[in-house]
Amino acid sequence: MFYPQAMTEIQLIAPSRDLLAVTRVLAGQGVFHQVDASSLSSQPGISNGDSWPEQAASYATLERRVMASMQALNVEAGPPPAADRAVTIEVDVARPQVEQIEQDVKNAGAQLAGEQKRLEQLHSTLMQLEPLAGIDLDLATLGKSHYMFYMLGVMPAGNLERIQTSLARIPFVLMTLRKDRQNAVVWLAGTQHNADVLDRAARSAYLNPLNLPDTLQGTPSQVIESLHAEIKRTQQAINEQNAVLSSLRKTHQQQMQTLIWRVRASRMLAEAMARFGKLRYTYLMVGWAPTANVENLTQRLRQASPSVLLETTPINRSDTELQNVPVSLRNPGILGAFQMLVTTYARPRYGELDPTWLITLTFPLLFGAMFGDVGHGLVLALLGALVVSRRIPALRSMASLGAIVTACGLSATMFGFLYGSIFGVENALPALWIRPMQNIMEILLFAIGAGVILLSIGFVLSMYNSFVARDWGKLLFDHNGLAGFVLYWSLIGLAGGALAGLHIPAILFIIPAVAAGVCVMLSESLSHLIANHHPLVEGGIGTYAVQAVFELFETLIGFLSNSLSYVRVGAFAVAHGGLSAVVFILAGMVSHNQGLGYWIVIALGNLFIVGFEGLIVGIQTMRLEYYEFFSKFFTGGGTRYKPMTLLPVAED
Amino acid sequence: MPGTDVTRYAAIHARVRAMYAGLLTEQMWVALSEASDLGGLVSLLKETTYGPYLLKVEDRALTPRRAVYQIKSRLADAFTTVVQLVPAQTRPLLTQLYRHFEVANLKAVLRGIMTGASWDQVRYVLFPLGSLTVLPAQAMVEAGNVTGAVELLRGTPYYETLSHAMPRFITEQSLFPLEVALDLNYWRQLWTSISRLGSQDRAQALRVVGALLDMNNVMWAIRYRVYHNLSEEEVINYTLPFGYRVRDEDIRAIAAGADIPRIITRIYPGLSGVDVLLHELRSGLPQLELQLQRHVAEQCRSAFTGYPFHIGVPLAFVVLHELEIQDLTVLIEAKSAQMPAEEFKAQLLMA
Repeated sequence: MFYPQAMTEIQLIAPSRDLLAVTRVLAGQGVFHQVDASSLSSQPGISNGDSWPEQAASYATLERRVMASMQALNVEAGPPPAADRAVTIEVDVARPQVEQIEQDVKNAGAQLAGEQKRLEQLHSTLMQLEPLAGIDLDLATLGKSHYMFYMLGVMPAGNLERIQTSLARIPFVLMTLRKDRQNAVVWLAGTQHNADVLDRAARSAYLNPLNLPDTLQGTPSQVIESLHAEIKRTQQAINEQNAVLSSLRKTHQQQMQTLIWRVRASRMLAEAMARFGKLRYTYLMVGWAPTANVENLTQRLRQASPSVLLETTPINRSDTELQNVPVSLRNPGILGAFQMLVTTYARPRYGELDPTWLITLTFPLLFGAMFGDVGHGLVLALLGALVVSRRIPALRSMASLGAIVTACGLSATMFGFLYGSIFGVENALPALWIRPMQNIMEILLFAIGAGVILLSIGFVLSMYNSFVARDWGKLLFDHNGLAGFVLYWSLIGLAGGALAGLHIPAILFIIPAVAAGVCVMLSESLSHLIANHHPLVEGGIGTYAVQAVFELFETLIGFLSNSLSYVRVGAFAVAHGGLSAVVFILAGMVSHNQGLGYWIVIALGNLFIVGFEGLIVGIQTMRLEYYEFFSKFFTGGGTRYKPMTLLPVAED
Repeated sequence: MPGTDVTRYAAIHARVRAMYAGLLTEQMWVALSEASDLGGLVSLLKETTYGPYLLKVEDRALTPRRAVYQIKSRLADAFTTVVQLVPAQTRPLLTQLYRHFEVANLKAVLRGIMTGASWDQVRYVLFPLGSLTVLPAQAMVEAGNVTGAVELLRGTPYYETLSHAMPRFITEQSLFPLEVALDLNYWRQLWTSISRLGSQDRAQALRVVGALLDMNNVMWAIRYRVYHNLSEEEVINYTLPFGYRVRDEDIRAIAAGADIPRIITRIYPGLSGVDVLLHELRSGLPQLELQLQRHVAEQCRSAFTGYPFHIGVPLAFVVLHELEIQDLTVLIEAKSAQMPAEEFKAQLLMA
């Protein structure tokens, strides 16, 4: 819970004959995070000696082809089989099946597409001719004029203005017969003398002339009549083709659903094998697995291939080379929901504390302190519970967010009792602790105090992380290490003593503050010194001195801004009461005698507070967690643990 | 209202400023230009904000094309961040600007089909749009013909545009009408997005996007006349009637055969030596385009001075980022071809 799962590095060498069996075990168990070892092949830089990349590509192509057929028949892939039942299939076995399905689907699909295209063209022709329905003239005669140039056709509506500009130098007539957002049916006319210019302008404006087939001749109304009949026939043909596809769907649905998962599993298997290192008669596989699963995994590997050579190396958290160790966070229950907030900021490194438990405690507390109201808190908690229950289909994907909202709502309820506030009414309940609106200074000072405690926890955790990583320089001299901690508390002592009028000698704080300040300034060199790393100063003394001064200045500013940031906790607690008071004033202005209008404003105002203020407080809480608190001790940058599997899996 | 603008743009402004600081420094450009070879260049880039993207691929797989693809991923991420953070009213403009890469991808796919390229040859030429694309690029390439590929675009914003141009493609067997139709449609929609903004944002967007549009429109008109020998009516139909500094009269004058250096000087009075540059039109045009791109970069940089809470800042950042990647592409190709510094340095915009 406090750290990412302990991981073990696994290296195994398996004989070529057992490759498939071993890979199946590695993928089937769903715990092995594979590392690309293809560069360790005996012929690095060429390939791993086998055709796995090509096979993976073949499977990917087959997968796409099956998907295309499924799409044409409107068949869903369905749920994946259980991980231990994922079955693979040979390319040579899958291909004929895919081709057979494609053949059946393609013929029917192509005929359907052809009829649909025809229907589209018929409608387009109809659209172009309908405006001319009243003209009693054979359309064929229009194109036989000796002196005049005519063109009836459809063009993008956006080009209408441009074609007129382009023809500005010659006489022409452009009539828009019909126009919608996309298309315009136009009739372009001019003299035959300018036919070339007109033709070029029409072509470059994408004016596509109407070309009637020989079967459609006569006056516009006659052609329109023929078109209607043709449309009816085509529609009938489409219905027939749809019936054929429906029957094919029934025949092939089961087969396609089985096939898609087998091809997919085979593709993932081939992709995994392409990342193995190929030695002469063996394959080298490298990766990671959670230490808790290693024994079971190695047992199964030995069952699959008695001659497999296995080397497992459990990884110590204090190892300095932990960059590539994948990080698996497995936080149970409510912690799982708050884990999302941590990974949104950064994934912890392997040797680093997983701050999920900490954010699970502090996030609802900070939220509740800013949004303390029994009524509003309960509304939030109920809304969150509704989302968690997954009863609203549209919000199912937000279930983990619902858990956070519930926790925050319950915390707000608790603080509501402490503040004596319910639905913005500040005097209906006794305040078990304090009424923020009436004790503004106290609540603000308390908020800063809470911030100082949280930041101090951050310092301690930072020092602990450095201790675990054996990073003594950072532990002792960093601005988030011991030196920073001493400096921070010395300054608090100085300021607190002066403000509270305590008679503590200032020198007791000044000496440690100066000493710690010097350590922070020189942290880089001091760290180099204890790590025996030379040179102690990089980039020249002058640059170093300037950097050191600014480092200290930035640290001091950081301390001040980090601490004062927590004022917002108190400020929002006060603002909550103030906002509620405004709602009551507005309601009173709408209806003096507390009629229907009064209660409508109260209801809308409370909705606004729960929605809008709730959102703002949520954002502010996240800000305090991320920028003030996490930045003290949490570095992040860990690699995500992605176990090898034959089926797609959800991310943690 | 200034107060509202500050609230709306505070977050995006802070984020963009931070990302702006991540653009390559002058010192880094010098170091990159002086890298001994492609390996050295990539090693240096790994120390910059492009590092995480390049480190995702093993060194041996990092071909010039793949390296460019990886560094483009950073721009894709930056664009996604910016689009998510800008105020809702301005999001359509950013989204439409981002579609520029989708249009480029669509053109690259169509070119790939025409040249008979495989998906593996095409995929790393494309801009990495991830899931933010409506193009079924692989299926289109595998369709093997342009007509079939265009049919796969049904339901996307591109189908209607291309269906108007398809009769010409079928007759001429050239991608030219398809590409022109896509470009015109793209810029028209971008212009419409700008016209829907409030006055302050519109003015700032015009400065950045308008400069880009002007450059494209002018270069199209000149190229159609000089390289393609198109007629006046064709040049007019293949260009746009609007712009920031470029007026429709300028485009019509170029189409009608007017003196190009005189028109360029009128539009861009700050551009010096246009007469000398365009003395030989065919060879001078690439240099003119570079000059205009530098002008766009200047417009973008100027968006970072003065009152900062407007759409111009994020727009300018993404355009500058794109120009930076254009330069990096030049550098990567130059280093892989072992081109001498004096040959490629003149092609760089940002360095």
